[in-house]
Amino acid sequence: MKRLILTSAVLLCLNGISFAAIDWQSKGMQMVGEVLANPSAFFYDFQQDLEATTPLTPGKSFGLQTGLFPTTIPMTFVNVSGKYRLHAEGRIAPGVPQVDLIGGLWNSPLAKIATKDSKTIESAKFGGDYLGAIVSSSVSPKIRTFWGYKHSMLRAKAVLKPDENGKWPQLMGTDIKSFDSGFKDDFLIAGIETPKGINKYWSMQLNYGLKTQTFSTKLSWYGKIFELGLNIYPEGVLVFHPVWNMHINF
Amino acid sequence: MKKIILSAVIAAALTGRLCATVAEDSKIFTPYFDMTLMEAAFLPSAGNIFSGGNINTQAGLLTKLSQKDSIFGLYNFNYEGPAFQPQDSKQFTDRSMSHNFNFEYRRVLSEKFRVRPGVSFMRDYSRTGANEAWKNGLYNMNSFGGQLAVDYNFDFDKNGVITAAYMSRKIKFPNYTDLLREFMNASNTSETSGGLQDQNLTQISLRPSWNGFFSGLTYTEQDYDNQKVVDHVTGIYGNTLQKDKTTAVDGGFHQSLWIFELSPMVSYSMHRSNQNFLRYKSLGATFTPATLTDGTANVTMVANNYDYNEATLSVPIDLNVTGKWAIGGSFNVTSRNYTKRGARDADNNYTASKQKNVMSTLTGSIRKRINDVATMRLFYSMVVASSNNKFEKYTPNNYTGHTFGVAYQLSY
Repeated sequence: MKRLILTSAVLLCLNGISFAAIDWQSKGMQMVGEVLANPSAFFYDFQQDLEATTPLTPGKSFGLQTGLFPTTIPMTFVNVSGKYRLHAEGRIAPGVPQVDLIGGLWNSPLAKIATKDSKTIESAKFGGDYLGAIVSSSVSPKIRTFWGYKHSMLRAKAVLKPDENGKWPQLMGTDIKSFDSGFKDDFLIAGIETPKGINKYWSMQLNYGLKTQTFSTKLSWYGKIFELGLNIYPEGVLVFHPVWNMHINF
Repeated sequence: MKKIILSAVIAAALTGRLCATVAEDSKIFTPYFDMTLMEAAFLPSAGNIFSGGNINTQAGLLTKLSQKDSIFGLYNFNYEGPAFQPQDSKQFTDRSMSHNFNFEYRRVLSEKFRVRPGVSFMRDYSRTGANEAWKNGLYNMNSFGGQLAVDYNFDFDKNGVITAAYMSRKIKFPNYTDLLREFMNASNTSETSGGLQDQNLTQISLRPSWNGFFSGLTYTEQDYDNQKVVDHVTGIYGNTLQKDKTTAVDGGFHQSLWIFELSPMVSYSMHRSNQNFLRYKSLGATFTPATLTDGTANVTMVANNYDYNEATLSVPIDLNVTGKWAIGGSFNVTSRNYTKRGARDADNNYTASKQKNVMSTLTGSIRKRINDVATMRLFYSMVVASSNNKFEKYTPNNYTGHTFGVAYQLSY
């Protein structure tokens, strides 16, 4: 009897789901349209995936990080980030928080390949960087809150040239000689970190851009070498970004 | 309109939250942090799948100045993404984002009495299109004001407190303009259509709580600065300014019984507005005074169109299977009955019966406690929205929907 009720309940739910068919083609076209409308914002979400915006673990002086997925693979964002501890928590006086400098940069080899192989691209640049600081303070043995600022920039530039017939690339009937698209903003960061085990942490943070009102949340699980994350961009084209980063702290 | 009342309710809830944050005796500074994140996929019966979510971040600091004096500052970021909406409110794709700053001074007057004056500033952004800039939202809103709360502690052992609070807000909509009025009066170059949503909001509330039980009585008044009332006889704007009043009562409890965690809540509100509504069937419909009260005429006047009574019942239950895992379920139902507004048929004609909307949500979830301060929840919800109003040109009134999502909470 129990099994019958359970089966009926599942079928009822599935019936409801199949009733509302999903139009994947229309959804895909909508997403492509959103990317074309604001390509910089789309690519900047991937830059945020590689940005190291958590504080250095207690006792460490500096750290290096590189984003593996989805940044290096498949997006070809070759990247490196660094953290440097300016002040350890409580060193000058009890209660004075830890202060870290953070920063990093990335570049895409796709821009160089495009320049080399294309007959209409004179030069191209596709990359970004960020610089900031994180202040962190332990509020209990198990909780550390952190606050930060970062200035973040993405550059997407190309200078075009006419083909062998002297014709410029066109977009909707207009000659395109160059384009300079990018993203730049100052962000505030607020987050909380809690240990999951020995040398294992779980954190949750909010990044908010003051000029563009761009915002994201990052959920991260990290240990000595690797960081797994789930970055959420509620207003982005791809809302969920699963993230895999590698870091070494000294 | 509903949004402002909602904001006021959030402000009232924040006042309660502020009250809940208590300094430890040994500390001068006590931080407060709460972050909730929800992201879900929504599958409506009509329309395509969409994603949406909610982010709420609160960060505060309580500073103890002396044994009797302290200051509490709280910043609240709230984002509400696309989601299923109650009928007559907004579209599924509408989004809003707000920043709220609240500063409160606390003074202990005696063993049982405490007074909490405070100021608040809020900036609220809204957007409908995918690429519309947040700063250009038609309903962007700024509010500024103060509040005064008095706590009377009648039972220290079981946290028995009665809080009386008075709150006042000046609310401005800097981008709002009546597009139809601008269109109809294109030759007029002076600004006559802006500022119509600007208003002053006043709220008085009394909230007792004891041993996990709570209740409240709230009265809210919205006085519009410029929005005039459409006269229900002549059908043109008169000199009376719009005024809305809402009286609400609520009650509930949060209790643990064996492996069950229960937090049911019930509320009832009565909204009254002196604004009337002139329904044009089409843009070129002609106005005929003799047929103004005829529900099938091209132009119909509905006096007190916005008056309604609304009841809400929410019953969430968590069953703690182990120390880490819990199975949850909840049932929510909201019923809104318009007292004067008739329901419309599919052709936009008023019928004899009054409009009635019901929205029910059934949720099942699995919760994992990550540690002392963090939880994760996977959930599925089924929404059934029904209404006897069959004119659904702008927002859907009758639909079913499925939601699959994940939610995280970290609170310290």
